[in-house]
Amino acid sequence: MNTGELYRMANRLRMDVVEMVHASGDGHPGPCMSIAEILSVLYFDEMRLRPEEPGWGERDRLILSKGHACPIQYAALARKGFFPMEELPKLRTLKGILQGHPDMNKTPGIDSVSGSLGNGIAVGLGMALGCRFRNIENYVYVIVGDGELEEGIVWEAAMAAAKHGAGRLIVFGDLNNHQSGGHVTELSSLYPVDEKFRAFHWHVQSIDGHDVDAIREAIRSAKAEKRVPSFIGCKTLKGKNISYMEDNNAWHKRTPTAEEVEIARKELMG
Amino acid sequence: MSILSTREAAMRALIEAAREDETLVVVSPDSMLAARAVPFQREFPDRLIEVGIAEQNAVDVAAGLAAAGMKPVVISYAGFLTMRACEMIRTFVAYPGLNVKFIGLNGGMLGGEREGVTHQFYEDVGILRSMPGVEILTPADAHQAYRAAKAMLDRRGPVYLRLGSGREPEVFDEHTPFEFGKIREVLAYGDDVALFASGFIMNRAIEAAKRLNGRGVGANLYDVSTIKPLDMEAVGAALRRVRAAVTVEDHNIYGGLGSAICEAACQIKPLRVERVGLRDLYPRSGAADELLDAYGLSIEDIADAAERSLR
Repeated sequence: MNTGELYRMANRLRMDVVEMVHASGDGHPGPCMSIAEILSVLYFDEMRLRPEEPGWGERDRLILSKGHACPIQYAALARKGFFPMEELPKLRTLKGILQGHPDMNKTPGIDSVSGSLGNGIAVGLGMALGCRFRNIENYVYVIVGDGELEEGIVWEAAMAAAKHGAGRLIVFGDLNNHQSGGHVTELSSLYPVDEKFRAFHWHVQSIDGHDVDAIREAIRSAKAEKRVPSFIGCKTLKGKNISYMEDNNAWHKRTPTAEEVEIARKELMG
Repeated sequence: MSILSTREAAMRALIEAAREDETLVVVSPDSMLAARAVPFQREFPDRLIEVGIAEQNAVDVAAGLAAAGMKPVVISYAGFLTMRACEMIRTFVAYPGLNVKFIGLNGGMLGGEREGVTHQFYEDVGILRSMPGVEILTPADAHQAYRAAKAMLDRRGPVYLRLGSGREPEVFDEHTPFEFGKIREVLAYGDDVALFASGFIMNRAIEAAKRLNGRGVGANLYDVSTIKPLDMEAVGAALRRVRAAVTVEDHNIYGGLGSAICEAACQIKPLRVERVGLRDLYPRSGAADELLDAYGLSIEDIADAAERSLR
């Protein structure tokens, strides 16, 4: 896809999220919006996948460590052809295959359980090492939220990943400065994030997480660095591109009304 | 096979299996020395994955390795695995049913003995027994640990192998079989009371059964080396023969073998069950045998429990 198409896909995915959370009556829309461009580039430009063969061994892997944002990953997987679009409104119901947080055994295209925060980098490191053992020349992508970087295991994994030279592990940091209880900068002394990964011997880049071309370029640069894992710190906006959701933590977990769905439709698809 | 410690015996099984299976890797949160894994690392230098003192990371890395088609074995002290990395075992291994194996060292008071409470673990079996999809093995000596490790590697999905300090007494002949998921009759002195024992306290249970026999109390002793899944059929058959039962384990009386047998008895044949184990308290540092004697796991404590159960 070209740049314009990737931007349009990002908004298309955002709209899918609004519609599915509205239909289902449950889910986390706000945290989905800040990673729409990252997912658009990964699924529709970058990752080697075979939707008709979800378990294809040579595929690139993606772990959405901030698993509560799975509605937008489900939208991307459906649009990519891993399962029918009709599954989306069945989010979080016994009728469907889309769990409240990702489950690799119930949903085609999901590579790992996730949603218990902080675990994605550690699991991704294991996957990257496992693929290396098996001579699979793929990439393992992980998307982490900034709030979950408060978990200790993140830094256990960060330490081990550089030591093991996991050059095919590429981690996106969705740095929207929000977590469940408020601003990350108020609840912790996490920031600056980039400096911390640099201190753990990672290859670190800082970009605008809503700039499709910057995301593509950062992935190219990450792939060029083969000796150590990469952290791409993405400055993002929670609720991005929907006026009532932008930077508004009330939308961390909330169901849009029919009227709010239509406002979003005008803003995203208009 | 020459007599080895339990830890060396299990490691020998891993090394032999690794020669046949190139997907087998060991994940070490700085447990290489404790796990007696130096020979493994010497033979397979790339396949001992050292992640540093970080058990949670070790379990998640193992989950990722398994998801990519490898067969990882995570080795650490029983409590650091089952308590510190408890959620990782549950959510990232057991829930997706990944093929990750766990070896927990220092199981029981006997396992941690002089190290003290921080390194003695009597909750591991109870914790894991409450997790769907995790199988639990508690071999009785080094020969059994070797066979249990092999049995573990033949299973698909998460299995926990409980080991001790590495200084456990030899109890069974080296040709004694280890059958996954089965209890085994060790002694059959009569149908008064059934003794169910698991792990490295088996030597004491054997002595207690002999002592009881000398006092005219007929005890049948069973080695319960698979705690989960419990061999319900054979446990039921054993319970139907007797008037009472005693469980013997180096674990808290809550959650482990004692609980498992009580649950089985309630379901199959309600009878009196006396549980010999750590009585819901924290012990202290001490020499192994002295500790067991001091905290209610002496041979006489087991015999007393059997006699009490029949009164």
